[in-house]
Amino acid sequence: MPVPWEALIPFGLLTTMFGAAGTLMNVSARAQNQGKPPRYHIDEWDEMMMERDRRLTGHVRGQTSDTQAPPEFKSNSAWVGKNY
Amino acid sequence: MSGNIVVAMDSAPPPDHIPQVPELGATSAPLKSAAFFIGAHCKEYNEDFMLCKNEKRDPAHCLKEGRRVTRCATDLINKMRENCLSQFDAHWQCLEKNNQEYQYCRKFERPLNACMFEKIGLTKVIPGTPEGKKPIHEIENPIFKPIQK
Repeated sequence: MPVPWEALIPFGLLTTMFGAAGTLMNVSARAQNQGKPPRYHIDEWDEMMMERDRRLTGHVRGQTSDTQAPPEFKSNSAWVGKNY
Repeated sequence: MSGNIVVAMDSAPPPDHIPQVPELGATSAPLKSAAFFIGAHCKEYNEDFMLCKNEKRDPAHCLKEGRRVTRCATDLINKMRENCLSQFDAHWQCLEKNNQEYQYCRKFERPLNACMFEKIGLTKVIPGTPEGKKPIHEIENPIFKPIQK
């Protein structure tokens, strides 16, 4: 009896669709994080350091080990307050 | 209900009577990689700053100690880059790919620690390690490690 290949189509569809969705999510996450896996379990310290990284390099995931800060770093700090 | 959230930026330069020190331009991953060496090299200045802050949280109170901390850390990072640049870069790039957690990057940490000891004479010491127990960064087969080789 011939192989019931039409019955295997749903399995193929499931595998493909799960694979495509997972790959797309992974690619999207890495694209937002400059090609690196996203950060997780971010606490307030990490948020503060990532904000400092943004001030130094322009992107929250930008990294440099150069000890000379760019000249904008002196004046681009911002703090959040309330306007009464 | 009564107030709007405002983001305030102040681009005015600091007053002239405050001495200026160039701020450290290294970002979070290189600093995390160098953290224990900064602790070993700059111990006195860091402790001075912490004790000063302990007295009063006012930012103007501890500017002098803060400048010393900045200068010491800048000096150490410059020395690290001069002597162990490739190991340093490899380690902090590994940290960046692993959520800046040390346990996934021991493979790169060991050459960096060896180079730092050989060239600059600094060792990584984890304060608070129980007596007689091997520090976590020296264990050959740790339990928490990267899953893939």
